[in-house]
Parts: sequence; structure tokens; C-alpha cells
Amino acid sequence: MEALLKVEDLKLYFRTTKGVVQAVDGVSFELASHTAMVIVGESGCGKSSLAKAILRLLPRNTHTYTGKIYIDGIDAMSLSDEQFRRQIRWQKISYVAQAAMNALNPVIKVGSQVAEPLLIHRRMRKEEALRKVVETFQIVGVPTDFVDRYPFELSGGMRQRAVIAMALVTNPKLVILDEPTSALDVLTQANIMNALKRIKEEFELTYILITHDIATSSELAERAMVMYAGQIVELGNAGHFYLEPLHPYSQKLMASVPTLREDKELDFIPGQPPSLINPPAGCRFAPRCHKRFSACDREPPMVDYKDGRKIKCHLYA
Amino acid sequence: MARKGLQSLIRLARYTFMRAVAIFFALVVGIFLTIVIANMGGYVDKIKKAQVEESISMSVFTNPAYKNLTTEEKRELIDKLVALELERLGLDKPFIRLDRNFLRSRAFRYLIDALTLNFGFAEHIHSTSGSKRVWIIIKERLPYSVLLFTSANLIVFFTSIYVALVLSRRYGSIWDRLSVSLAPLSTAPPWFYGVILILIFAASLRLLPFGGFVSIPPPKSPFAYALSVILHMILPLSAWFISGIFASVYSWRTFFLIYSSEDYVEMARAKGVPGRELERRYILRPTLPPIITSLALMLISAWMGAIITESVFKWPGLGTLYMEAINSFDTPVIVGLTMIYAYLLGITVFVLDFVYALVDPRIKVGGGSAT
Repeated sequence: MEALLKVEDLKLYFRTTKGVVQAVDGVSFELASHTAMVIVGESGCGKSSLAKAILRLLPRNTHTYTGKIYIDGIDAMSLSDEQFRRQIRWQKISYVAQAAMNALNPVIKVGSQVAEPLLIHRRMRKEEALRKVVETFQIVGVPTDFVDRYPFELSGGMRQRAVIAMALVTNPKLVILDEPTSALDVLTQANIMNALKRIKEEFELTYILITHDIATSSELAERAMVMYAGQIVELGNAGHFYLEPLHPYSQKLMASVPTLREDKELDFIPGQPPSLINPPAGCRFAPRCHKRFSACDREPPMVDYKDGRKIKCHLYA
Repeated sequence: MARKGLQSLIRLARYTFMRAVAIFFALVVGIFLTIVIANMGGYVDKIKKAQVEESISMSVFTNPAYKNLTTEEKRELIDKLVALELERLGLDKPFIRLDRNFLRSRAFRYLIDALTLNFGFAEHIHSTSGSKRVWIIIKERLPYSVLLFTSANLIVFFTSIYVALVLSRRYGSIWDRLSVSLAPLSTAPPWFYGVILILIFAASLRLLPFGGFVSIPPPKSPFAYALSVILHMILPLSAWFISGIFASVYSWRTFFLIYSSEDYVEMARAKGVPGRELERRYILRPTLPPIITSLALMLISAWMGAIITESVFKWPGLGTLYMEAINSFDTPVIVGLTMIYAYLLGITVFVLDFVYALVDPRIKVGGGSAT
């Protein structure tokens, strides 16, 4: 099957007073249509930066932004900002931001904000767009009279759903969800995850779900990507990954997640994630790795393992 | 529902009343301080008494009608006339009494007069029409200041908002860094740039007039008159602009930088909202309350004129009037000028509260928090 999203050697570096931060460092992957991929990793491993790099939401201190991104056959990196805005934003990719609580403009009515992409990209009339918004609100489970409310009049969960409705309103192919439930209580989290699952089938969507909540994400994931220090360390089918993680980092990560009906001692990873300003040479995880050996001083290759899994580790070379 | 509506109406009315009382109280305190300071805490009385004595003794000694009186008799006459004149001027009563007779002191009477906009007559200054009524004097000067400084402030305000928006989009660019390093230029006051501009464009190049409002004699045709006024406005406007623009651009740029890193702005950018619309709906719209406040305060500041800048350019506005009044201890004029501005400021602050509630749905008049 033709990949919907193809990323090759994507790099996003930031300029800071202390030096250049290599937030996304040579990331390559493909994502087929109608699949949900979850990206997991510790805080600061570059998950959100990867999302922003794909969406071209570059901060003011961007230092390097290179690589190739193909979205639905379009070479996105060759587009100008204006072309990217017209052809990609909300046409092909939509986005649910990390802090969805603040993702709505406080002084504009929710309905009008959700309708905005339709006015911009579909050139709909306002009434028509608002009808479509009401439809979308019903799908994600927002009471339809919230169209006329201001964001501060909505609860956190409802605001989150409204933002999800906003991401769906133009029927884009790919939705990038950056920790869509991290600020919510557990019940609301489960509710929203279920809604996302249902919507995915209904709209035949492709998801990239960024999270550090491994347990919740297993509900949705078909593919899994593990990031460490700005790089992909493991990539494969979710089924394989959740049952038998291969990279030492993934193993430790999974060992830190509590499970029901299993008497296991929770594990943790010693040390701190490395600074992305001067990342260690060779394998970036080596200083914290319990399986390191002499080869780890060299940069590990991306190894093709069985079942189409990829692992960036010398152990599998 | 109707009950709830009534309740919120009562709450609104109570809030409005309390707010008005608070602002009025602040105004009374401010204007009373102005009256005390303008009279130098009563010291102006001594100056005036000395002036009265001097002028009366001069007139008695030089008046041929009293030529035959002895020095002793002249002294007596002078004392009598001085006492009469002091009584007429009310200077026989103390300026201020900090006891239970406070209400009978002149300071209190001045306060009541000021609050009721009853400014009375100027001591020395008179209008070009010859009137000594403070109202007429102020009304005559007001249009000049309002014309010059409203235009100047509007130009500075809208230029700096526009430039700041552009700069906030290009954070870290050469233009942005230039604007940051130029900001200290605004520490020099407008009259400083005024003097330099006069030296260059009036004294050296002879391109523009040194000062004044219109050339003398004033041109007959309205078109030529307007043209002459505009020519006279160029230098003071430029001085005001140069002195104001750098700090204003810098502070608005920082303001917009802070608000353009809000999450909802990034979200709008991700949605593909075009640049202009993004600025209008996602940056300017949520920040309207502080922008409106700044604009409103800037506009009423035109009603104060600018004391030194007007003097440098011989602009016949309120600033020049202030200068004349302060130099000649003309307290009714000083108090009148201050009172008008104080009322304007009070009303503006009062009205702004309601404007905030209109432009920002999160703000409810009366503090009925919504979240």
C-alpha cells in the first residue's frame, strides 16, 4: 500500500543561548493510510518537535530544518509557506495541540473557531460551515448548543472535544494528536480515547498519536514508534512492540508501566536523558543502558528485524 | 430567568455607583493637592499681599491728589487701602486651616469651585479677546493643543502598532534588533528633538517656519490658511514622533511577541489562517483591552498640551498657557487646566470598564467571574 506519510532524514534543530538543540535528528519513517501510529518516549525526547516539524510549525529560534516529507504524494518540503498553508494545513493534516485547553482563542465563540478551516479552505458560507460544525460536534460528543459559547464556558474535556472536532471538520487524511488527553482526568481520558477510536473507523483517518501514556495509547495503536534523544530507536507493529519490545530502552520503558493481573516489579531507567545540545557520540542511550558493550561507542545502524520491525541497536546487527 | 436578570442589573448598578464614587474621591484628592501646590501651601498669599502693598503705596505716593498729605497721613491711607483691597481679594482669611474651620478656609472654597467647574477669573492672563474668564482663556487655547497632539499621538500610536506587528513576525531579524537598540532614543524629550529640527530645517535650510500656528499675517483664502497651518505643524509633529516612536514600537513589539506565542495562535497557524487574519483575530482581538486603554489615555493627554514642546515651537496651546500660568502664579488657570484633565481622565477610566466588558467576553462588569 502506498504510504500516506513518508518522512526521510528529518532534522529540526533549535538555536539557544547554550548551543544548538538537536530536537529531531535524522528521523525517517513511513506511515500507511488508515493506521494509527503512537509515538512514545520521555519528556524532551523530541516527540512534539517531530509533530511540529511535520506540520511546519517552526518556533522563532529554528536553526536547521531539513529532510524530506511526502504527504499523500506531495513533496511538502519543496512548497513555499503559502503553498504549504493552502495545500497541506487542514487539507491533508490537522493537529490537536498538546495544551488543547489553551488551543482556543478566548474571545471568539467556539463554533466560529471550529468553522474557520471550512471558511478558509473550503470557501463555505458561514451558515453552511456552522451546520457542518454542529454535525461534527455530534460525532465527537459535544452538545450542539456549545457552538454559541465562548471557550471559558466549557469544561476541559469539552474544550478538548471541540478541538478534536476542529481537527476533523475538513476531513483531512492525517490527524496528529499531541498528548490529547494528558491534562484530563482518567474518565474523560477514556471517553476521548474511545471517541477517537470510533472516529478513526468512521472517517477512515490516519493518526499520529504522541503520548507518554503507554497504557492508554495501547488502546488505539497499530504502529508504534519509540523516540530517544531526538532519534527513532524502535519502530514496528504495535502488537509486537507491546508484547515484546526489542530495544533496551523500549524494554525498560515498558517495564516501567504497571499492568493488571501480573505480579511485576516496576522498573525504572537510571540516569537522565542526555542533553540534546551535545548528545553523546555513538549510541545515545549507551550511558544508561544495562546491555551496553564495546560496539556501543559507535553510532548504531537502523537494523531491519523480522516482521518489518526496525531497531536502532548493535544487539540486533 | 427574569429574576436573575434583575439581580445582575442590581449588581451592575451597585458596581457602577461604587466605581463612580471611588473615581470621584480620587479626583477630589488629586485636585485638592493641585490647589494646595499651585498656591504653594499658602505662600502665594504672601506674594500677593506684597504685590498689593507695593502697588497701592506706589499709587498713593505718585498720585498728585495726595501731594499735600504728610508721610504719616500717607502711611495711614495706604494701610487703610491695603486692608480694603485684601478684604476684597479674600486674602484677609487664611488660605488653609487644618482644624474644624477647614470648611471656611479659601482652599476648600477653591476646591468646590473647581469641582463645579466654576473657575472664575484669571489673575494676570487674559484671552486675545481681552477676557479674564478662565473658561474663555482655556477654550481659546484648547483647539490648538487638541489639533496638534491628537494628530501626533494618533500617528505615533498607529505607526507603532503596525510596525510592532511586522517586527513581532520577524523576531530576531536585523530590523527587529535595530528597533531594540534604537529604543533608548525615546529617552530624549520631544522639545530636545524640536530644538535640533528647528536648527536644521528652520535656521539652516530655511525650509520650514521656526514656530507659531500660522504665518503672519494669516493668509486670506482657507486653502492657503490650511496649508500654512500644516507647514507649521510639520516640525512639532516630527519632534513628537521621533521622541515617541522608538519606545512605543519597542514596547508594543514585546507585547505582541508575548501574545503571539499563545497556544491558540499556533493552533490558528496550523489551521492555515492567513497572516493578516491571524494578526487581526488571534493577536489583536484578544489584546484589545490594553490597546484601547493605551489609545484612550493617549487621546485625552492631548487635552493637557505639552508644556515645553509648545513653548519651543511657540505653539499657542494649553501647554504654553500652563507655562504662563505657572510663571505668574495664576492659580485659577492652573487649577482650571488640571481640573478639566482630571475630569476627562476620571470619565475615561470609568467608561473603559464598560468597554472592556464589551470587547472581551471573559470580563463581566461588576466582577461576576465567569470561569
